[in-house]
Amino acid sequence: MTNDLMLLMPLIVVGVGAITLMIASTYNKLSHEVAAFVTAGLFALAFLVQVTSCIAGDTILFSDIFSGILVASKFSKAAGLIILACGFFTALSSQSYFKQNDFCSTEYYCLIAYAAAGMLLLTMAQELITIFIALEIMSLAIYILVGYDRDNVISAEAVLKYLILGAFAGTFLAMGSALIYGAVGSTKFVKIGEYIASVGLTQSPLMIGGAFFIFVALLFKAAAFPFHAWVIDVYDGASVPVTGYMATGLKTAIFAVFANFLVTDGALQQKWITFLFYIAVLTMFAGNLIAIGQQSLKRMLAASGIVHSGYLLIALVAVGSTEFTGSVIAYYLAAYAAGTLGIFCALSYLGGANETRKTFDDFKGLAQSRPYSAAAITVFLLSMAGIPPTAGFMGKFYIITSAINAGQVTLAVLGILSSIISIWYYLRLIVNMYFYNAEEQFNEPVLSSFAPACTLALVVCVFAISLYPIMI
Amino acid sequence: MFEHVLSVIIFLPIVAGLLLLVSPASRTVSRFTGMAVSLAALVLSLDLYTGFQSTGYLEFVEKVPWITSLGISYYLGIDGISLFILMAASVLLPMVYFIFGTREKGYYANLLIVQGAMTGAICAADMILFYIFWEVMLLPVFFMLGLYGGTKRLPATLKITLYTIAGSLLMLAAIVYLGVSYHAQFNEWNFSMEKMAQLNLTGEIAAIAFFGFMIAFAIKIPLFPFHTWLPDAYTEAPTATTFVLSAIMAKIGVYGVIRFVIPVFDYEFARFALLLTYLGVIGMMYCGLAAIAQKDFKRMLAFSSASHMGVIAVGAFCMNIQALTGSIYQIIAHATSTGVLFLLLGILEERSNTRTISDFGGIASKAPVFAVYFAIAMLASVGLPGTSGFIGEFMIVLGAIKFNAIIGVLTGTTLIIGVCYMLWLFQRVFFEKGNPRTEQFKDLSLVEGLTFLPVIVLILLMGIYPQPFLSKITPSTALQFNQPTHTLAHAPAENALKLELTTEK
Repeated sequence: MTNDLMLLMPLIVVGVGAITLMIASTYNKLSHEVAAFVTAGLFALAFLVQVTSCIAGDTILFSDIFSGILVASKFSKAAGLIILACGFFTALSSQSYFKQNDFCSTEYYCLIAYAAAGMLLLTMAQELITIFIALEIMSLAIYILVGYDRDNVISAEAVLKYLILGAFAGTFLAMGSALIYGAVGSTKFVKIGEYIASVGLTQSPLMIGGAFFIFVALLFKAAAFPFHAWVIDVYDGASVPVTGYMATGLKTAIFAVFANFLVTDGALQQKWITFLFYIAVLTMFAGNLIAIGQQSLKRMLAASGIVHSGYLLIALVAVGSTEFTGSVIAYYLAAYAAGTLGIFCALSYLGGANETRKTFDDFKGLAQSRPYSAAAITVFLLSMAGIPPTAGFMGKFYIITSAINAGQVTLAVLGILSSIISIWYYLRLIVNMYFYNAEEQFNEPVLSSFAPACTLALVVCVFAISLYPIMI
Repeated sequence: MFEHVLSVIIFLPIVAGLLLLVSPASRTVSRFTGMAVSLAALVLSLDLYTGFQSTGYLEFVEKVPWITSLGISYYLGIDGISLFILMAASVLLPMVYFIFGTREKGYYANLLIVQGAMTGAICAADMILFYIFWEVMLLPVFFMLGLYGGTKRLPATLKITLYTIAGSLLMLAAIVYLGVSYHAQFNEWNFSMEKMAQLNLTGEIAAIAFFGFMIAFAIKIPLFPFHTWLPDAYTEAPTATTFVLSAIMAKIGVYGVIRFVIPVFDYEFARFALLLTYLGVIGMMYCGLAAIAQKDFKRMLAFSSASHMGVIAVGAFCMNIQALTGSIYQIIAHATSTGVLFLLLGILEERSNTRTISDFGGIASKAPVFAVYFAIAMLASVGLPGTSGFIGEFMIVLGAIKFNAIIGVLTGTTLIIGVCYMLWLFQRVFFEKGNPRTEQFKDLSLVEGLTFLPVIVLILLMGIYPQPFLSKITPSTALQFNQPTHTLAHAPAENALKLELTTEK
């Protein structure tokens, strides 16, 4: 009982903290800077609790009350740690971001905490209705965060697109759950797994339809082909820290659900493996094609996020076939999160007032006036490109290993080809930063040192994750 | 001799380089730091050389488990093959700091990092560790080329980087394939090189994995038809980078073939050896002919270097002990001679602000010491008896004739092309009538002269008395052909005119 409570504690800390923060924000006394530090503190506290809680195997939380809808496992713990770290860095880099951009209020931070609560719930959920609720908790908060800059037209466009399409995805999930319930008579993963094992997936049209709808919803949220088109505009419209948060925390939560769903229903994974194979390949190459043509940095990062979803799908294809695939996904998510968050942290203080610096050209010659920032961004880009000795390389290495080990040699080779293509647009930014003369001075004062500090911390993370791959 | 000497040689330059990058050091401080660190590495390497036992197996082994679940370890060691490439790197790299005195901080720092990374790639005995160093050594080259290169540096930078990374990533897939095969055959994860040699690989995927390795190394060497990045990169790069690329990094490509491809893919190697040797010969001819036509001094040397790498590659592909030993000998010979040529060219360019061959003339009378050094390095490069180049080329041609008479004859005759362009170049630059641009040309200063002297002496020494060097190489090359599971003994007959000559008893 106490152990269960401790395992649930990060979620409780973040959730209760978010509610308290929301109530507190009705008072004018709470400045948004204080809110930022309180939120970061919440995440730090929850992170520490999560680190210290020990998990032996899969622990069903409060089995008598929740009857097995929440399960804590090593994988959910790792995913939770990544999400909490993402929240921590997002809160701190937002603080710096809002020194230069003026549309913040204290509610911004409690929304970040709400989203994190939804994500944490997602990583542990083993039941479809819980997933739906958690997904909506997370999505609602994210919708508002995307459209937080109300005076900005692009931001309004982004939130409209995301809201409508996201609502569709949510509905698809609900629809799929209903159909599966119709076939199985339960919404728990365990029961669904048993049903597929005994009856088979293709026997019941309800089951086929239900699984299809759920896949659509999850692929949409994971930004996989053919549901990837929204990503570019939404990431572009959202403010930099929110984009970073969506690209890392949200993706971690979605892939955690995806993996949980596929692992529990091992038979389901077998049936859909060909389907996932093509989705993975198309996701990688569609993302690459989009990324190559972008002039805006945020749009390029959005497209590269699609490509990374493709790599994670490779790991999903190999899920269940080897003992360490779950940790492969977690490891890759951590490596990817460190690199991506790092870039967004750096952008949140380098972007200038009202995000004036957007395109590749705007960052020409950054290395001359801001050598350390440029070096940090280079490290993050190299990590995303998968160049050793960064974390991104190790992540890619594990993914390729698990794919080849699962017999998916073609998929591994296609993944490699995709990462060769991706080198081009990552290098392009490095080339712009280093090999051109500065067209403008990057000499505006840095108003807050938190984002630079976060960037430095994430550089350390990128190397630390690589050199001490403890999670594997 | 202390225990972790290899780690120190690898990480001392890397750490020093990184510290220089983050510190606000001045140019002079950077230069002297670089000089001190590279000399320290040289001293340690000489110590290593004298302590080397020539057992043929890995010596100075360091092995620390790193990622236990996949059997990856921090595993270093050197044998007779890697020792000499390590020595070439350690002997040649300090020269740069003596010769180029006024470059930027990043220039020296990147040189240090590339030295450490190359040493790491040479010493690594675990495939993943090798891959990491192999990729890392490209990054300083990328930055040096892009930051300090010539006017058309950007296309050249992107070309070399994308080309090399593409090759490396294919190799990564092949490495992972080997690891997974090892797991399947022996039920444990391991990526160390000698374990991989026990693998029994067959089938088409093995052939594909073989080409995954070969393409990566062929790009680095560069072997025809993967040489297209070379002229641009060598020409646009600052002299020290060209020097690093041609003198050492290209050799690591050949080293990779000898160390990783031949022991692991012995069957595939025997199957495709003839094709590979022909590619080597074509590369020799093509780059040699291209070198004759060049107007730019540096571009000509670039093609010449590529042409000679073709000879070394042929030696490595001939599958017999003479050719392999000759190939390694030629690696050092080529590293020293080409290295000296590129450095001398750098001095020439710095003092006369031109690289066009027709702008020079009559330098021999203005700068006799410079001309003598250049002549010795050039003659070593074309393989004149009495210089280091002769021994290596002789052994390679000998081995090539044993392997396949046609290859042998082609290799031997193609060497003449090298003599043509080199001597013609020497005539145009150093003799003939003086040129206004070279009127003011100053001879090497005392420091420069003394810097080159040890290497020049080494070139002559290796040409006159090769035995001490060969005795350290031969045990390791002999071991390459003596492994119990070696299938070279069953090399397909069509690959050689006489089967009994292709293998060593």
